[in-house]
Amino acid sequence: MEWNQETLQSLSQCFLNTLSPSPVPRRQAEAFLSSASEQPNYGLAVLRLVAEPTVDDQIRQAAAVNFKNHLRLWWAPSPADTTRILDPEKDQIKSLIVPLMLSSSPRIQSQLSEALAVISKHDFPQSWPNLLPDLVSNLQKASASSDYTSINGILGTANSIFKKFRYQYKTNDLLLDLKYCLDNFAKPLLDIFLKTAQLIDVAAGPGGAAEALRPLFESQRLCCRLFYSLNFQELPEFFEDHMTEWMTEFQKYLTSSYPALESSGPDGLTLVDELRSAVCENITLYMEKNEEEFQGYLNKFATAVWSLLGEVAQSPSRDRLAITAIKFLTTVSTSVHHTLFAGDGVIQQICQTIVIPNVRLREEDEELFEMNYVEFIRRDMEGSDLDTRRRIACELFKGIAANYKAQVTSILSAQIQNLLSSFATNPDANWKDKDCAIYLVVSLATKRAAGGSASATTDLIDVERFFNTVIVPELQSQSIKEFPMLKAGALKFFTMFRNHIPKGVALGLFPDLVRFLSSESNVVHSYAASCIEKLLLVKDEGGRVRYTSADISSVLLPLMNNLFAALRFPESEENQYVMKCIMRVLGVADISQGVAAPSIAGLTSILNEVCKNPKNPVFNHYLFESVAVLVRRASERDPSLISTFEASLFPSLEMILANDVTEFFSYAFQLLAQLVELNRPPIPASYMPVFTILLSPDLWNRSSNVPALVRLLQAFLQKAPHELNREERLSLVLGIFSRLVASPSTEEQGFYVLNTVIESLDYGVIATYMVNIWHALFTRLHKKRTVKFLKSLLIFMSLFLVKHGSVHLVDSMNAVQAGIFIMILEQIWIPSLKLITGSIELKLTAVASTKLLCECPVLLDATAAQRWGKMLDSIVILLSRPEEDRVEEEPEVPDLAENVGYTAAFVSLYNAGKKEEDPLKEVRDPKEFLVASLARLSALSPGKYPQIIAETLDAANQNALFQFCNSYNCPLV
Amino acid sequence: MADENSPHRRDPIKSSVGNVAAQRRRQSAISVGKERRESLVRAKRFCRVSVSGGGGDDGDISLDHEMVIDEEDSILEAQTSSAVQELQTAVAFQGKGAMQKRVNALRELRRLLSRSEYPPVEAALKAGAIPLLVQCLSFGSPDEQLLEVAWCLTNIAAGKPEETRALSPALPLLIAHIGEKSSLPVAEQCAWALGNVAGEGEELRNILLSQGALLPLARMMLPNKGSTVRTAAWALSNLIKGPEQKAATELIRIEGVLDAIVRHLKKADEELATEVAWVVVYLSALSNVATSMLVKSDVVQLLVERLASSNSLQLLIPVLRSLGNLVAGDSRTTCSVLVPGHEITDSVITVLVKCLKSEHRVLKKEAAWVLSNIAAGSVEHKQSIFSSEALPLLLRLLSSSPFDIRKEVAYALGNICVGPAEGDGRPKLIVEHLVSLVKNGCLSGFVELIRSADTEAARLGLQFIELVLRGMPNGEGPKLVEQEDGIDAMEMYQFHENEDLRNMANGLVDKYFGEDYGLEESSS
Repeated sequence: MEWNQETLQSLSQCFLNTLSPSPVPRRQAEAFLSSASEQPNYGLAVLRLVAEPTVDDQIRQAAAVNFKNHLRLWWAPSPADTTRILDPEKDQIKSLIVPLMLSSSPRIQSQLSEALAVISKHDFPQSWPNLLPDLVSNLQKASASSDYTSINGILGTANSIFKKFRYQYKTNDLLLDLKYCLDNFAKPLLDIFLKTAQLIDVAAGPGGAAEALRPLFESQRLCCRLFYSLNFQELPEFFEDHMTEWMTEFQKYLTSSYPALESSGPDGLTLVDELRSAVCENITLYMEKNEEEFQGYLNKFATAVWSLLGEVAQSPSRDRLAITAIKFLTTVSTSVHHTLFAGDGVIQQICQTIVIPNVRLREEDEELFEMNYVEFIRRDMEGSDLDTRRRIACELFKGIAANYKAQVTSILSAQIQNLLSSFATNPDANWKDKDCAIYLVVSLATKRAAGGSASATTDLIDVERFFNTVIVPELQSQSIKEFPMLKAGALKFFTMFRNHIPKGVALGLFPDLVRFLSSESNVVHSYAASCIEKLLLVKDEGGRVRYTSADISSVLLPLMNNLFAALRFPESEENQYVMKCIMRVLGVADISQGVAAPSIAGLTSILNEVCKNPKNPVFNHYLFESVAVLVRRASERDPSLISTFEASLFPSLEMILANDVTEFFSYAFQLLAQLVELNRPPIPASYMPVFTILLSPDLWNRSSNVPALVRLLQAFLQKAPHELNREERLSLVLGIFSRLVASPSTEEQGFYVLNTVIESLDYGVIATYMVNIWHALFTRLHKKRTVKFLKSLLIFMSLFLVKHGSVHLVDSMNAVQAGIFIMILEQIWIPSLKLITGSIELKLTAVASTKLLCECPVLLDATAAQRWGKMLDSIVILLSRPEEDRVEEEPEVPDLAENVGYTAAFVSLYNAGKKEEDPLKEVRDPKEFLVASLARLSALSPGKYPQIIAETLDAANQNALFQFCNSYNCPLV
Repeated sequence: MADENSPHRRDPIKSSVGNVAAQRRRQSAISVGKERRESLVRAKRFCRVSVSGGGGDDGDISLDHEMVIDEEDSILEAQTSSAVQELQTAVAFQGKGAMQKRVNALRELRRLLSRSEYPPVEAALKAGAIPLLVQCLSFGSPDEQLLEVAWCLTNIAAGKPEETRALSPALPLLIAHIGEKSSLPVAEQCAWALGNVAGEGEELRNILLSQGALLPLARMMLPNKGSTVRTAAWALSNLIKGPEQKAATELIRIEGVLDAIVRHLKKADEELATEVAWVVVYLSALSNVATSMLVKSDVVQLLVERLASSNSLQLLIPVLRSLGNLVAGDSRTTCSVLVPGHEITDSVITVLVKCLKSEHRVLKKEAAWVLSNIAAGSVEHKQSIFSSEALPLLLRLLSSSPFDIRKEVAYALGNICVGPAEGDGRPKLIVEHLVSLVKNGCLSGFVELIRSADTEAARLGLQFIELVLRGMPNGEGPKLVEQEDGIDAMEMYQFHENEDLRNMANGLVDKYFGEDYGLEESSS
C-alpha cells in the first residue's frame, strides 16, 4: 500500500465508517480494511494516518486501535507465504513509533504503547537494539529539562515493555533479557525516581501547588510499576544495593500526606493513592520473595500500612489502596514473620479495625446492587470479587487463620453473634449488620465446585442451625420488597450451602424461590433463578440427582410462568441466570403439552427479539440450549409435537439465515440438524430449501460454521440420502470439498465434508465421483504436503477402507494412475501412520492398516515381504508407543480461517448434540484386532510371517508385538 | 466423525506430568541477583599482609600499629599523590642505588594502599600510578620490586569496577610473572591481583583468558599445599565463572587438574578445600565435560565426606552446591554413581538431611534442591528419599519456611510422586508416595504455591494439584483439593497473562469441577 493523499483519504473514510451505527457501511468498511490489511505496508500506512495531525481525532483513534490489532495478528513471524509485514516495513514502523507515541494524545498514546509492547514481545531486545538506549537518552534529556510529559511517556513505554517479566517463566532467555534491561535501565530509573522524590518534597512544602505535583506523582507511580517488573523474577543486585534509597521513599509515601494535592478534587487523592497502592504491591512482592533482605524494613512498613488502613477503612472510594494494603498484611500473615500477629489482642483489633469495616456494605455496593446488577452478581457470586475490599478483607482473615485458626474462629464467631443480635434489636436500622454476618460466613467458607456434587463448608457456624434461624426467616418473609440485599444474601447462602440443606427443607422453600422470581430487584430474581438452577444439579452420594421431575411438578407451571415473566423486567430482558434456569428446568421437568406449547412460544418470541441485535452470547447460548432441550425431550415423549416445533421455529431460523445473523448460524444449523434427525423419512418438503444452504460455498469457508454444517449434512445423508443424490447435489457437495481441501487453511473442513459423504453413502452412489476425489487429493498432495494434510488423508483412506473395502480403495486409486496405490502406501501411509493422534483416529487407522496387511494382494504378494514388514512395523509403533514419543509437535500455523470476516467461534449445543461417532464400534481393541488377524493369516502359511517379522521389524517393535501376542494369547506360527 | 480432526484433542495437562518427572535443574547460568558468594567470601580481596609471610620485611612490622591510626582521607590522598610522584622520580633515576630507591618508593605506595579499609586508589590512579607500576613489572626486575608492584596492583584491583579496569595495561606482565620461572611469593601476589581482576566481571575474565592466564594459574594449583595453591584456586574460581563454559572445560582438561582437585578435597585443610570446592562449583555448573569427568572420579564420595565431617559454613556451601550440580548433570552418569542401595547413596541422603536440619537458610535451600534432583532419578531413588529421615523434614519445611526454600522443597516432593519415563511408557504416578504425602498434609503447601506471585512456583503447584486430582484413589482428589481451597486458588488464573498457567488452571477447573451439563446422562 502506497502512502499518498488518496490512501489517506480512503483510509480516513473507512475508519470513520467503522464507527458508524448503521451496519451496512460499517460492515463494508470492515471488509475493506480486512482485505487492505493483506497488502504490504498496510500497517505503516495506518500508522502514518495516526500520525497525521490534520485528521480528526476519533479517526486517528480508530486507526490506532486497528494498527494495534493488525500488529497483534501479524507481527509475529509466521510461515513465509502468510507473512504480511515484511522486514523493511517493520524497520520503518519501529523507527516511527517511539517519537509518535511520545507526542500523541493520551488515548492514542495508550494504543501505541500497547502496539509497542506487541512489537517488543517479539523483537526486544535482540531485533530492536536501539530501543532501550533511545529511551534512556530521551529520558535523561527530558529529565534535565524536567519535562514530565515526556518523562511519563517514556516511563509508560518502558513499563509496557517490561511487563513481560511479571508473568513469563524464568528461563535463561528471559533472564538474559532482564539482565540487559537492568544493565541499561536500573540506574536511570533510580536517578529519575530520586530526582522526582526531591521535587515532590519541595513542591509538597508550604505554598506547593497541586498542578505541580500531579505529573510528579504519576511519574513516581510509573517508577514503582517498573520497580515491580524488574524485581519480579528475582532480586537484582542493583536493587539490593540500593534498597534503602527505594524503601525510604516508599515509606514516605505511605506515611506522609500531601494536602495540596489530596484536597484538589477527587482525582488528586486518587493520584496519591495510586502511588501508595503501587508501593504496597512492591513491598508485598519483597515480603513474599525476598523476605530475608526485606526484613529490616518490615516492622516500619507493617506499622505504616496498618495505620494507613485505619484511615482508608473509614472512607469510601479508596478501594484500590485498601485492597493492596490488606494484601500486604495478608502476605505477612502467611510468611515466616506471622508472629507480628501473635501479640495480645492484635487479631481482635484487625477484625474490628480492618476486616469488619471493609466487609460492611457501603453506599457504592448499594448503588451497584440497584444500578448494575450484572456487575454486582459477577463480584458477589462468581468469584470476580478477587479485587473487592469485602473479599480481600476476608482473605486477610483466612491468611491469619493459617497460623492462628482457633483464635480467628472464636473471634469471628463472637463477631457474627454480635452482628446478629444488633440486627435483632432493630432490624430496620441495623439490617446491614445481618448482611455483614451472612457475607462473612459465606466468604470464609471453603469454596466448592460450581456444579459438582459439593458446595461449601465452614466450621465457623453450624450450617443447618444458621440456615434455619437466620436465612429461612428472610426467605419466608412475606414481603419480597423489603431489604432486597438481605434477600439476595439469603438466596446466596442457600445456593452456596445447598448440599447441606436437607431435601425436605429445601422442597418446602421451593414455592418461596418461585415467589422471589417475581421480585423487581434484578439481583433477587437472578439469585432465585440461580438457586433453583443449582439445586436441580445437586447430587447425593453415588451420583443420584437429589431433585427429580416429581419434586418440581407441583410448582412447574408457576415456575415457568415466573421465569418468563422475570425476562420482562427492565434490564432483565437478556438475563442469563433466568435463561439458564429455564434450560435446567426444561431438562429436568416432565414436559407435557401444557408446558411445551407456552414454552416454545415464549422462547421463539425471545429468539426473534435477540436476532435483531445479538448482544449477550451467554444468554443466547442458553436460549438455544433451552430450545434444543425442549425440542428433544418433548418430541421424545410425543412425536406429534415435531411439526408444532417446526412451525414455530422455521420462521425464526429463516430469518437468521436471510438477515445474515452470522452469530447464530451454527446454532441454526444445529437446530435444523436436530429437527431433521427427529423426523421420520420422508423429510417434509419444507426442508428442501435447506439444501441450498448446504451448497453455499461461502458458508463453508467460515470455520466456525463447518462443524454445524457437517452435522446438518450428516443428518440429511442419514435421513434422506436419495435427496442428496438428486439434481447433481452430490457433485455440488463434492465441489465444495475440493475447493476447501485445496488450501491448507481450509483442508480440515474439506475432509469433514468428504468423510461424511464417504461414511454415509453406498459405494454404488459415490463410485463415479471417486476419480475426481482422488484427483483433488493428489493435486493437493503434490502442491503442498503438510503433516496435517497427511494425517487427514490417511484417516480418510482408512475410513474408506473400513466402509467400502480394500479392493475398492486400491482400484479406485489406481484408476487415476496405474500403480499409484503402492506409491502412496510406501511414501505416505507407512511413514505417516505413527503421527496419528486421538483414540478414535488411532483405532480407525490401525484397523484399516491391519486389514490391508492381511487381505491386500499388494502386501501379501511373495515379492512384497519387505513392504509387509515395514507396514507391520509402523502399526506396532502406532499401537505400542505413547503419543508424545511418536509425534513431533508441529509448529503452530496461524489459522487463517479464524480471521476471515467475523470471529464467531463454533459453539456446540449440548442438547442438540450427537455423540462423536466411532465408525468401528465392532472393534473393541485395535491391538487385539491386529494380533488376531495376524494369527489367522500366519496360520495359513506357517513359518512365513515370523521370519519376515524377524528380518524386517525393529527389535523393540518385535518385542512389543510379541508382548501383544502373549497378552491376547494369539501366537503367530 | 465430526471431531475427527479436532485441534483440541490434546489435553495440555497430560504432558505436564512428564515435566515434573524430568525436573532436574541446574542452578541458572544467568543471574541478575547478587552473587551470594560475596557475602561469605569476597570475589575481590584486599591484601594487607605480605604473601611471603611477613617477618623479614621491615615495612610490615609496624603495619598493625599504623592500621590503628585513623588518618583523615584527605591526608592519605595527599600522601598517596606524593608517593606516586616519588615513584616517578625513582623510576626516572638511573644513578647508583636506583634499584633500592625504586623499591623504597614502591614500598611507601604499597603501605599507603594497604593501610585503610578504603585505600586511596582513586588518588593513586589520578596521580598516574599505573604506567609507572607497569614499568616496574618489567622482566628482570628483582623479586623484591615485583612483589611490591604486584601488591600495589592487588589492592588497586580490589577497588571499584573502573579502578579494577585500570589494571588492563598491567595484565600481560602479571600473567607472565605467574609462570614457573617466578619465585613463589611473586607468582602468588600476581595471581592475587589477577584474581581480583577476574572477579570483576565477564569482560575482564575474557581478556585474561585470551591472554593465557588459565594454564599458569592451573599449574599453580597442582602442588599439595601452601598459600600459593589456595590463592591460585581462588583466582581460578573467579576466572572460570562464565557465563561462557569454555574456560571451565579447558581447565578440567589440563593435565593434573582433576587429580589435584581430588587430592585437595581428600587431604587439604578446610581453607584450601573451600577454594577448591568453589572451583568445582563452577566446573560442574558450566561444563558438561567437566561434570562427567568429575562424576567418574572420587569427587562425589569426597564431597559427601566433607559434608559429613565439617561444620564450616564457608566450606559446606560450595561443597553442597558442587554435589547438587553433579547430581543435576548427566542423569546416566549420576545414576551410575548414586546407585540405589549402595552406601554412597545413603550417605548422600544422610548429609543432605544434616543440611536440611541446619540453621542456615542457604544450606537448607540447596539441600532441598539437591534432593529434588536426586528425586528426579529412578523409582529406587525416590523410594530411598521417601523412606529416609528427609521426608518429614521436607514436609515441615513446605509449610513453615521462607518462599525460596518452600519452592525447592516442593520440587523435591513433587518429583518423589512421579515415576520416570521408562522405555515406552509415559511417566507414571507413584500412588503410594502421593497418598502418603497428601495424608501428611502437603496439599495446602502446594495450594499456597499456586497463590504465590512466582510463575514457576505456581506451575509446580498446579502440576501437583493435577496429580492429586487424577491420582488419588477412589476419586478422592477433587474433594481434597476443594477442602484446601484449591478451586479458589486456581480461579485466580482465570485471566492470567501467562497462557500456560491460565490453560492449566482453567483446564483443571473445567475438567474436575466443571459445570455439569450431562445431567441426564449421569442420572440415567
